[in-house]
Amino acid sequence: MNGKRGLISAGASIVNRNKRYIVWFYVFNLLFGWLGAMGLGRRVSPILNHSLHADKLLHGFDLAVLYEMMSRPEFGSRHSATGLGLVFAVLFFVLSLLFMPGVLLGYSSDHRISRDEFFRACGHNFWRFFRLFTFFLIIGGIVAGILFGIEGALAKAAEESSYELLPFITRMIGIAIIFVVLTTIRIWFDLAQTDVVLRDQVATRKSIAGGYRMARRNLGRVLGSYILIAVMADSVLALGIVLWNMIVPPASVLGAFLVSQATLLVFLAMRFWQRATAVSFYLHRAAEPLEAQPAALAVPGAIA
Amino acid sequence: MSPRNVAIICVLAFLASLPAAAEPSNTAGLSIPNTNSAINSATPLSQRVVHYEIEARYDPRTHSLDASETLTYHNLTGQPLDSFPFHLYLNGFQPTSTWVREGKREGTRGQDFEKWDPKSYGSDEIKSFEVVGQGDLTSQLRYIQPDDDNKDDKTVVQVNLPKAIPRDGYVQFRIKFHDQFPKTLERTGWDREALLAGQWFPKVGVWWHGAWNCHQFHAYTEFFADFGVYDVKITVPKYETVGASGVELSNVENPDGTKTVAYHGDDIHDFAWTASPHYREFHDVFQGSMGPVEIRFLMQPAHLGQLERHKYVTQETMRRFDQWYGPYPYKTLTVVDPEPESESFGMEYPTFITAGTGWFMPKGFLSPEEVVEHEFGHQYWYGMVATNEFEDAWMDEGINQYTEAKILDSIYGRATSFVNLWGITAGEDETDHFFYSVAGDLDPMTRNGWQFANSESYGTITYGKTAVVLLTLESIIGEDTMRQAMHTYFLRHRFTHPTKEDFLKTIEEVSGKDLRWYFNQAVYGTPVLDYQVYKVSSVPVEWYKEKLEEKKGVTEYVNSVWIQRKEDFVMPVEVQIKFDNGEKVREHWDGQDRWIRYEYRKKAKVESVEIDPDHKILLDRNEFNNSYMPEEKHAATHKLMNYYAFLSQLCAQFLSWWLV
Repeated sequence: MNGKRGLISAGASIVNRNKRYIVWFYVFNLLFGWLGAMGLGRRVSPILNHSLHADKLLHGFDLAVLYEMMSRPEFGSRHSATGLGLVFAVLFFVLSLLFMPGVLLGYSSDHRISRDEFFRACGHNFWRFFRLFTFFLIIGGIVAGILFGIEGALAKAAEESSYELLPFITRMIGIAIIFVVLTTIRIWFDLAQTDVVLRDQVATRKSIAGGYRMARRNLGRVLGSYILIAVMADSVLALGIVLWNMIVPPASVLGAFLVSQATLLVFLAMRFWQRATAVSFYLHRAAEPLEAQPAALAVPGAIA
Repeated sequence: MSPRNVAIICVLAFLASLPAAAEPSNTAGLSIPNTNSAINSATPLSQRVVHYEIEARYDPRTHSLDASETLTYHNLTGQPLDSFPFHLYLNGFQPTSTWVREGKREGTRGQDFEKWDPKSYGSDEIKSFEVVGQGDLTSQLRYIQPDDDNKDDKTVVQVNLPKAIPRDGYVQFRIKFHDQFPKTLERTGWDREALLAGQWFPKVGVWWHGAWNCHQFHAYTEFFADFGVYDVKITVPKYETVGASGVELSNVENPDGTKTVAYHGDDIHDFAWTASPHYREFHDVFQGSMGPVEIRFLMQPAHLGQLERHKYVTQETMRRFDQWYGPYPYKTLTVVDPEPESESFGMEYPTFITAGTGWFMPKGFLSPEEVVEHEFGHQYWYGMVATNEFEDAWMDEGINQYTEAKILDSIYGRATSFVNLWGITAGEDETDHFFYSVAGDLDPMTRNGWQFANSESYGTITYGKTAVVLLTLESIIGEDTMRQAMHTYFLRHRFTHPTKEDFLKTIEEVSGKDLRWYFNQAVYGTPVLDYQVYKVSSVPVEWYKEKLEEKKGVTEYVNSVWIQRKEDFVMPVEVQIKFDNGEKVREHWDGQDRWIRYEYRKKAKVESVEIDPDHKILLDRNEFNNSYMPEEKHAATHKLMNYYAFLSQLCAQFLSWWLV
């Protein structure tokens, strides 16, 4: 495996071999999305379903009519109408935390792991992943807090400039730097998660330390892959929204559903691609030490 | 010859006549400037009560100025006057003022005071006050509070004269004052290196309806002043670009690194100016029915890409005002694009308006156009038809909001005159309707501006409800008649201070209709208009038969439709019933009772019922219950659910992307 391109293509190969994980995650994502939307549906259907005025939302998207609908007393509070979606978003996160160990196990294996192996890995590693998540939250939170604080202060200072674009440019540069830094931390913890699953590591702090060392020594390669994939993901998202706007007639609910869901499916796949890239990198780096300690690996036929 | 050159020559030709016009006359020892002829027309357009001559020197380092003002007041009140109140608006920017108190309680823009920022401090301090022929009366000045009991409010000062000014007599005040400008809060002040100076000089009140009308500065009211002539000289560092009300007479550089710019304005009732080293200056000419008008745009460097948008909307707006309501008689218009994020955006002064935009402004988001149109509209509804903005805010802001909807709808399309971006739309009418529907029943439109329940009610009623009331009025008297009424109102009351009844009676007169039933509810009252389709049923005539098979076009039904007037506002409405065989029936209901039922025996079922099918009655607060389809249609709901699901899924993916 040579360079960034090799890492990305190795990751793509792993994702391609294990498409079922993306499909299942997507199914949950869709299910939760629509369960969340049902709360909104219950609020708006009494207002819209019998009214001709709803045509202004169907055959176009009249912003004033939308706000007017949301200000109707029967719509209720906006928070309660839309809060359900947030609950399901959190639920999807919990589900991802629960099932990611199985995904990593599957990605590291050269054969299709059994359902039993998948769920055993999930259950076995859930609390370890929760601990890793907690560490990530602490480290990421502190770093993000400091960086956003600096970025905010710089942007505010830039507002005093007579060059009007300066605050925006400052903010964009700041966000780009924060993105790179947080992606680095994400790589660190992605490698730590992989280490926990593949080594069956009880002491998560050892995986955190190992992930840190691995990320630090090879940051350029992995970071480049991650950022490239993230840029592709953002491009897919932007393209999907543009297509949705350009080719789908305003009244075509089915068309909008298909384009939007296709976009979300591809967007989701991008994150799995990053994970597969990290697993591929981890296996490659771990190969030599593993020759000395083969028993430490918990993956059946992990290294080809 | 370019239109711009024609305009310049015309202005210069008028200016050439000024020295003769400015020759002073002497009345009772006073040097009274002769202001009978002027720039805008051969004869005065207004009853010129005041003549301000101000020389001001601005120091951008301290955001302050020192000035001397000579005010010549012509007593046309029909009675002797021995006291004069003056507005000192800048004193509103002090922590104990009524403006700040009300702002803290009900804040609108720039008034969300969490804590007092010393930069917000502003003041208008009178250093000396002399009445020519009566001596120095500085020590006689007394702050008064005609609207509340806030003794700390210093926004109105009064002087009692030892000798009364006789009817048709003149009095001359010589005032030296010092202004400290605040960092812009609302409308006036400095931002970075720029200054927008509005309400910056001691301004005499208006003798109106037999008394002085000189209100304190309130959090969400505006202004009121007499027409007259302004001759203002402003001295600033020479690197500043200056713009102001009126016509620039001269621009002279001084040896001390400053320059003095002289302006003259006549038949105007206020004077504002701006100075900034950042402005980029552009010119355009509007060919109006009273000759060319030179338009000067002072743009921010980052907004130059939007210059054509500003020019286009200014031209199109001026053209429609000229054709629909009457001529713009002034020779100049200055459009100022203020500092980014400044609270001085979107404000009107005679022949001088501030726009409002940002460096990123997609073409489909017509906010800059809306601001320019709105502020230019104020040249008519405030500038020339100079209503009392303290007491009748709806007559300037509301009527202007109405004409804004008419003009922007005409330029950009009714459904897309505010937003037309990526399939998302919003029209001015609908936006006004939404604005009104939020809280449109707390106060009548005619309430004194500072006495509204809160700032939301003030904004909703003054802007949104007034526009909706006048748009709905078109459904009663017709769009063309309404335009004719507005035209008549403008021509009849320009350069005066009309009252609400002047406006309402003009509409009644032009339309030939008694509209008191409407005005009493909509203008003077707070009743809410809300009609709904209460119930719809289609029952087979032979419902009692066992095993009745309903067949479209064969089975006969008794169709019943109930219409309900839910609230107190009574208004005749049209109702359209559509049957599933394509037939349509229109009914007219006077709305006097609480409900009405219509019955139809047909071989068809009701497909839909719609109140106000032509969508003329925007005053109906809830448009969703104005129609009813017995058969549910879920498409709109599903569309919204799909949007929401997409956002929700995306949010979930982002959360998982970063945290797992």
